[in-house]
Amino acid sequence: MKSFPRRPAFLSTVLLLLLACSRIAEGQNVSPNISQTSSSQRRPSRTTPGGKSISRAADGVVIPGPLRSFLRMAGISQKIAPEDVLPLLARNVFMQGYSHDHPTEFLLLLDRYVQQARELQILAGTGEEIRVEGCSDVGTLIKILGYRIVGNCQTKNLTLATSDPDRAFLTIDSGFPLMTLEESLQKGAPFLYAFPSTRVPVLLHESDWMALNRKHTATGLVDLLLRDTGVARLYWAMSHSDDETNLALARSPGLWKLSTLAPVLDFYGGQISIRSGRVLVPGGRRAEPVWKEMVGASPDDAGEFVLHLLAKDNGWLAAYYDALSRVGGPQQEPLTEPERMKRVYEAFRSPAIEPAATASVFRKAPGLLVLLTRVDWDADGQPHVPGGIAVWKDVLGQGSSSKLVKNWGKRARGWDRSEQLLEAMASLSRLESDTGPLQAYLTLSAIDAKRPAARKLSPETVRLLATNFAQYGSWYLVFSEFPELTDESLTRFLTVADSIGGISNLMLRGNAVGSFQANIGLWQILARQGEIAAGERNESWLKTVGPFAKIDSPVQLFDATRTSLGAVMLASAGKPNASENELIDRMAGPEQRSSEGQHVHEEIADRMHNVLEDQRLVSLDTLFALSDGLSAMAQGNSAPQNMLGLAGELREFEMPRPIFTSSEKITWAPGVYSTHHAELQIKTDLTKVIKGPGTKAQLEAARGQLTPFLRDALVGLNYAYYEPPGAQVLHNNSLFVRSHDFSGLSVTTSERTWLTPELMGVGTPAGGGAYLMGSLSDLPFALASTEQDFIAPENVQALIWKELVPDLLVSATVPRWWSVSRDELHAVTLYLRSGEELLMASENSPELRGQVTQILADRMAPQRLETLDRSLANGEDAIAVLSQTMPADTFFLAAAFRHRYPGRAGSAGPQSQQLDALCAKSPEETSAERLARDFGVPHPVLARTYGPSLLYVKPFPSFGGASSRLFGESWESSNLYWARLADENGLDPAALNRLVPELTRRMTAKIFATDLEDWPALDRAMRETGEDFRAGKVTPLPAAASVTSAQGMSDGRQENALGGAR
Amino acid sequence: MKKSLLSILLLSSLLVLGRGRRTAAQDDARIMVNVVLVQLNVAVTDRKGNYISGLKPEDFVITEDKIPEKLATFEEGNEPSSRLVWSASENKMVPQPIASESTPETVKADAPVSPSNPTPTGANVFILFDTSNYMYRGFVFAQDAIADFVRSLEGVSRVAFYSYSRDLSRGVPLTAERSTVLRGVRSTVAGDDAALYNCLLLTVKDAAQFTGRKAIVVFSNGPDNASLVPPEDVAELAQSTGTIIYMISTRDAQAEPISTAVFERMSKATGGKAYFSRSWKDETDAFSSIREDLAHLYSLSYYPQPNPNRGWRAISVKLTGENAQKYRIRTRDGYRVLKPAQIATTANPAASSTEPSTK
Repeated sequence: MKSFPRRPAFLSTVLLLLLACSRIAEGQNVSPNISQTSSSQRRPSRTTPGGKSISRAADGVVIPGPLRSFLRMAGISQKIAPEDVLPLLARNVFMQGYSHDHPTEFLLLLDRYVQQARELQILAGTGEEIRVEGCSDVGTLIKILGYRIVGNCQTKNLTLATSDPDRAFLTIDSGFPLMTLEESLQKGAPFLYAFPSTRVPVLLHESDWMALNRKHTATGLVDLLLRDTGVARLYWAMSHSDDETNLALARSPGLWKLSTLAPVLDFYGGQISIRSGRVLVPGGRRAEPVWKEMVGASPDDAGEFVLHLLAKDNGWLAAYYDALSRVGGPQQEPLTEPERMKRVYEAFRSPAIEPAATASVFRKAPGLLVLLTRVDWDADGQPHVPGGIAVWKDVLGQGSSSKLVKNWGKRARGWDRSEQLLEAMASLSRLESDTGPLQAYLTLSAIDAKRPAARKLSPETVRLLATNFAQYGSWYLVFSEFPELTDESLTRFLTVADSIGGISNLMLRGNAVGSFQANIGLWQILARQGEIAAGERNESWLKTVGPFAKIDSPVQLFDATRTSLGAVMLASAGKPNASENELIDRMAGPEQRSSEGQHVHEEIADRMHNVLEDQRLVSLDTLFALSDGLSAMAQGNSAPQNMLGLAGELREFEMPRPIFTSSEKITWAPGVYSTHHAELQIKTDLTKVIKGPGTKAQLEAARGQLTPFLRDALVGLNYAYYEPPGAQVLHNNSLFVRSHDFSGLSVTTSERTWLTPELMGVGTPAGGGAYLMGSLSDLPFALASTEQDFIAPENVQALIWKELVPDLLVSATVPRWWSVSRDELHAVTLYLRSGEELLMASENSPELRGQVTQILADRMAPQRLETLDRSLANGEDAIAVLSQTMPADTFFLAAAFRHRYPGRAGSAGPQSQQLDALCAKSPEETSAERLARDFGVPHPVLARTYGPSLLYVKPFPSFGGASSRLFGESWESSNLYWARLADENGLDPAALNRLVPELTRRMTAKIFATDLEDWPALDRAMRETGEDFRAGKVTPLPAAASVTSAQGMSDGRQENALGGAR
Repeated sequence: MKKSLLSILLLSSLLVLGRGRRTAAQDDARIMVNVVLVQLNVAVTDRKGNYISGLKPEDFVITEDKIPEKLATFEEGNEPSSRLVWSASENKMVPQPIASESTPETVKADAPVSPSNPTPTGANVFILFDTSNYMYRGFVFAQDAIADFVRSLEGVSRVAFYSYSRDLSRGVPLTAERSTVLRGVRSTVAGDDAALYNCLLLTVKDAAQFTGRKAIVVFSNGPDNASLVPPEDVAELAQSTGTIIYMISTRDAQAEPISTAVFERMSKATGGKAYFSRSWKDETDAFSSIREDLAHLYSLSYYPQPNPNRGWRAISVKLTGENAQKYRIRTRDGYRVLKPAQIATTANPAASSTEPSTK
């Protein structure tokens, strides 16, 4: 296949990060003040959640031409605050501007645009307005723009056509109003276009940066940032820090010295905080001597300390400092115990200081931050070790292909303290693996953490789980979600999984794996929704898993699957032979009493039905009826009356009408998984054996032929349950479920049967469509990844944020709100309002402000906290103050304040008093723990469980690989915010089950971010969605009346198709 | 009458809201009855490709899975639609004009058209512009070409303008206001991966919300490196919703055989055409052809006779008498019975602006 000319990838990468920008309204002048073009005009432009703050004493630099045009060309969100313009420009230049020391197409275009803008600026003159009377004087303008006139002036047939494609591209890409110019020329009317330059703030002073202009080629800061990637990175790095720190750093060690360490400062410097000339180190005063020793400079000498910190060990000490700083509150205290802190660092750096901690486009060692955030502590202050230290000595000593693991295996032989395991894990965080010993330790710790003291994992179970982690580890998340499962249940799972893995027939093995995993998935769904009671979970688990212990034939698999499903249904519905509709009713959620709840429940069940219909899956009822009929026939009975009709249903699925020939598919989509599984089903025809006479063996074999259909029906139920909002593939690619490749052997050399699923077949038109390869263990995320790009960003230059959106969608599809009472829903609102009250009340009380900021320090980076503190100290109004916090911040503030200062929150205001009253009335429903469970989000990577929770962590930075999910998982505000919207609109809590996915989809379409840690963009999109909701643009409840009407139809017309209509 | 026809369509859609799947296990004596209207856009040409006008309803014979079907409505080109009623005096079905509360004259020119406000005559045209990396080199020329195409549709149809790279951008919703569309065209931004079939799927769904003739005109030079749905599914959906797809490319696209194959086959299956001109500056013939096509299509519709087939239903349209030998017919060759979820769209019909204006 001939390769086509492509726009270089680095340009597109910039656009990848542009997620959604609001178009400036037609008819609205482009304003030199960017804040006036922000959609959230009632909210001040601001820096927030991850934020950037700029010295308020800063001067400004001039951006030529309208800022909106510049931002478009620079790949920057057009909703940012003015102070973010230069940092983001710097970021894009160093990230995308150069390749092998040569400027990329992105930078060339940006540079050309700046030149074009300057030419237009001259044309605009001092009045900053381009004015053209007509064809007579438009020549210069259209020449600059790269266009020419075609047709006659002042006539309708005049058009503007490209004459210089390079210039025309800039004209279009920067959003010049070409059509308006064309229409003016057609009408003979003057064309007036405001073309102002824009002054944007500078970090520190322009002169500080121009001192770095070593080659003296740049005429100003913008030029310098475009030409010097090192300066650009330093600028970007320092934009993460608070003002006081930046001013101190500029004095000492100074920008010149810092510039050589810009990559380290960028990745690991955002938590450095200098106050009154001293560095506030993690662990405080107690830890200062150790920091002094490790760094080689005293925190009292801020400049020297920071310089040495960044330079030490190729940036690894800075990485450690950063991770410790990000761990807030009580968790930081044991970690910064001086001796421990020192030993853990020694272990962390021990693998080698090469490659550098900055030798990648992403930060290194994400596991360290996860480890430090999640390590659990025993009552004696020692790190918790699941199963005891002896087990882990064995686990590490079992051998590994990794040299690092081998080394620790040897060192582990002499271990006698749990501290030593913590040190080993810190060291192993340097290993780039998702299935290594660190991940095993974190997962088993998560399982143990949920269990009562008397029922911690036994050493034998830990050994078994750890040994098998690389293969089955992704399934352990079920164990951490349901602590009721005993060691026996965990062991049983592994035994059965091993047994299934031993099935030699590939097809039978694939069907067994799919059926087994699908049934566990159904068990998990029903247990999570409380429809399998806690007391029933362990027993029902054993009965769900058990039937798959020994599978030798398709018939046996069919029967085992049915028995297993019966156990799930028995535990949930009280009877093993429930129909598919009954199963879906259970999966859709517990029975509802309110009419709203019933309608929402009905709609969710309907959605699941739709997926099954659109995937053209055979129903469980049909399959079981066919099986029963064939069994009866095998015992000598005549065929039941409707058997042929049932068999006909197996043949109703058709492959899509082909566009490609078979040979074309082989040529144009080599290596893509074939649709073998689906094609075999199409060939299945039971009519002959039903018409008979069939032998007993033939009839049994016919039953076995039902097995792949049963697998697909059960897998389809899992897919249907986790359908992301706005899903398209689930409805329009009828092969999607059938194509699930459990083994992966068609494209890989090793089986992926138990690993997290991967999306395959993307961008392969002749390959029959995308499909999932691997297990069902991480299905919600895999489906969200599949469907995300079908959400259409609302505005030009907007793309879906791939590193974030799947997690956002998962947080809307996994949690359900069937058991939430109105009191509980209202409690969320009151917690949020109480947090806001505390913030505002703290403006008048230095003591309260200290308490508030101390609490929020566990959630906010120093820069963000400094900005908020300054706003409070300055007595800024509520809009200004509250715009700097997110719902998760205010919720956390209210909850933590009530915990730390019992009985004192009420003085903050009436909302806090109402919360007091509600808590007194319904203590269980209003507890922070309950609300965290019901309005939290899943953290499968960070907390190793799909059970929703609120972890109250600081925003995680962006990492690569699977750890890229950490950023999204640390966003916990949406569900709290949606709950408040629902409560304030008097909705039944059950409405959230419908509303949250829809609001999340809309929010996704509104996101417009520039960098991978752009929390303000998320916050903005969420609030814009909320405004849409308040404006009545989102229907909160199903159209119940329509359902009633439909059910009332009795004209005998059954087919519910719209096919061919219009 | 148009209103009542729409009511039938909406009423039929309500039927899908009933719970549960009906299976043979529940009812073995199934009778399938369509309650929806199947609409066909039919181009009739002579052997030289000239459009044939003036044909009457009785000149057409339609079968679905070889079951003869009766025409319900008939429309030629941009003429008003007619409902066919039995005339005892003439002893045959005769056209009866369908009155409309929403004729083109009464619709405000700048009002975005929504599904509840269908246009009775003239095609609804959705333009889908490939702004991916693949188009970078010819981006501005392709944009000029689209602008020319939009201008050439003046007074004929309503137009929506969408663009795509990895994701779809619904730039301008369906509107009769050409300048709004042109502003949308001139506001596109280039770059990123290409997910043509994903975005075409979404566009087909948006088009499916509208009654009457509807067409999607894709401006693309081909390769798709980011779609998840295969072209087969998109083609089926377009066929099943009666949406014509035209593909406009340059000969650069022909260097890539996959795109060439899909463009030609998919457009043909939906009753459209694929065009490969020398360059983006040279698309005049393609525009003229599409314009002519849309202006001369016969729109026929029928309520399907009872048909137990739940899968692909083959449609055959033939001319009667000697016309059958003289003329050629181009239309879709079938459809699949769809469920509402398969054509549901999340599109927001609200118009958004695209270009800053001058004073």
